Amino acid sequence: MNRDRIAIDVQEVVKTYEEGRIRALSGATLQVREGEFVAITGPSGCGKSTLLHLIAALDRPDSGRIVVDGMDLAEVRDLSTYRSHRVGLVFQLHNLLPTLSASANVQIPMYEAELSLWERRAKAQRLLEAVGLGDRANTPPIKLSGGERQRVAIARALANDPPILLADEPTGNLDSKAGEMVLDLLRTIQQKRGVTLVLVSHDAQIASAAERVVRMLDGRVVDEGLSGHPAG
Amino acid sequence: MPFFMLIFRNLLRQRIRTLLTALGISLGITTVVALGVVTHSLKATAEDILHAGGADFAIGQSGSADLSFSTLTEEQLEDVAAYPEVNHAIGVLMAFSSLGSNPYFVQLGIEPSDLEHFDVPLLEGRYLARGATDEMLLGEEGASQLDKNLGDTVELKDRTFTVVGIYRTGNVWEDGGAILPLATVQEYERKGGLMTLIYVKAKVGTDLDALTARIEEDHPELATLRTLSDYNEVDQGMQMMDAANLAISFLAVFIGGIGVMNTMVMSVMERTREFGILRAVGWRQRRVLQMVLGESVLLCLIGALIGSILAVVFTRAILIFPAVRSFLEPEYTPDVFIRGLVVGVAVALLGALYPAIRAVRLSPIQAIRYE
Repeated sequence: MNRDRIAIDVQEVVKTYEEGRIRALSGATLQVREGEFVAITGPSGCGKSTLLHLIAALDRPDSGRIVVDGMDLAEVRDLSTYRSHRVGLVFQLHNLLPTLSASANVQIPMYEAELSLWERRAKAQRLLEAVGLGDRANTPPIKLSGGERQRVAIARALANDPPILLADEPTGNLDSKAGEMVLDLLRTIQQKRGVTLVLVSHDAQIASAAERVVRMLDGRVVDEGLSGHPAG
Repeated sequence: MPFFMLIFRNLLRQRIRTLLTALGISLGITTVVALGVVTHSLKATAEDILHAGGADFAIGQSGSADLSFSTLTEEQLEDVAAYPEVNHAIGVLMAFSSLGSNPYFVQLGIEPSDLEHFDVPLLEGRYLARGATDEMLLGEEGASQLDKNLGDTVELKDRTFTVVGIYRTGNVWEDGGAILPLATVQEYERKGGLMTLIYVKAKVGTDLDALTARIEEDHPELATLRTLSDYNEVDQGMQMMDAANLAISFLAVFIGGIGVMNTMVMSVMERTREFGILRAVGWRQRRVLQMVLGESVLLCLIGALIGSILAVVFTRAILIFPAVRSFLEPEYTPDVFIRGLVVGVAVALLGALYPAIRAVRLSPIQAIRYE
């Protein structure tokens, strides 16, 4: 990990929907360093989730550039490999597959990696242990609490050891205690694994857990500042 | 979890829907396999008919629409018998009539003296006596259906015949009927001096291809029958059956395909968000395609398995009818089941094509936002 290196470089990104009638991003610019924990905050509809989705290559910007680990996403032909190996995504809703066990859910992204069945199982078990759910590997999501489900989703996001973790309102659907646990877990992972963590939250208190807080308004980054949490 | 298991688990999400779709497919496969079994068995029986009595080949009337309409004369029999390569030429007149519970009781009229050269393995009794007009050899299945034994009498065509022998050739068609004196059958069928087929036994070492070619060249009105394709030339029934089989198979694929498409479209639409998640965590379009097609193929294979079992049950069940038993001995060859399997996979691919394309074309972000 090189703290001076730019991991994510978003330059003047514009994104509109419905033939330009809805302007989600209006020239957003953001830089995130390798291993940094950045929170993007702002009111509902300010474009923070859209920005995160563009970094995750779930969508393409209308204009501007997004460079991740030196790769201009506009030039990446194989976005599937980028999504499976370069970034890990945690959604507000856990989005686990209901018929699969926690372990099988964690293994989902690993189908695109060159891993044997046994390697997948062992790795999923290690990841579940890392999020404190080693003993719930065979439990389906329906039998897990909201916080546990989100921890399984975090384990899934780490399945292919991505250097960047993107979390979209990961505590938005949880009670405060479970939310705090999930936040602690994300912070621990970021520090222990040295991953770059970008977290989107409308909650300023949640966002304050980050090293740096970026505030967005009307599709632009309007303010950047250090929070009280230094780099680990 | 192996990828295959993931596909299997997806099918278990909507168990009732999966089961009903598989049952729907299985009905089509049942039709295809059962028709295949029946067609194959009838062809095997037809091929046996051409070599009845241990003949090298049979001769019928060229261009007849159905083998039973073939009409040959005693002169033609003599002409064939005159070929130096021919050891024995035996004229047979076929007749069909309702007897007991069998509406298609087969009667083969053969000159009693020819029975020495026409291999009819007797289980008990003796051959027809020369000059006898009221004796009958009864096939084993025919005897069983009529509940007759050696020495019993059988009423047929206002005549009373005495069963003097019971035989078994292994051909259901022959074993379900009887062998009678040729003159008697010609008389009650009002076909004096006429026959349906001539069975030829050639001398050892004869080039059969050359002999049959010469007979046909010398007698264009005759058709020599050694193989099933020869049989088709004098009987359009097999070709019609093949055509019907093909048409029904296509229909089964089409109807089954619509059913599978309905199920898979519903399944894909219900899981739009899930496909978005899978794409978001890095699944390639190809893997999503494999999953949707895999679910469909697995569904159809289950249908094919059930359909094949039902086809066997059905083709065994129809044997309770004596009429069927007298001409059909189901033969379960691998190619018939492979055809069912191929139809199943065709149904799967046809039915899943549109939903699979829809699934892979989903934009991850639009799919995730789908409610």
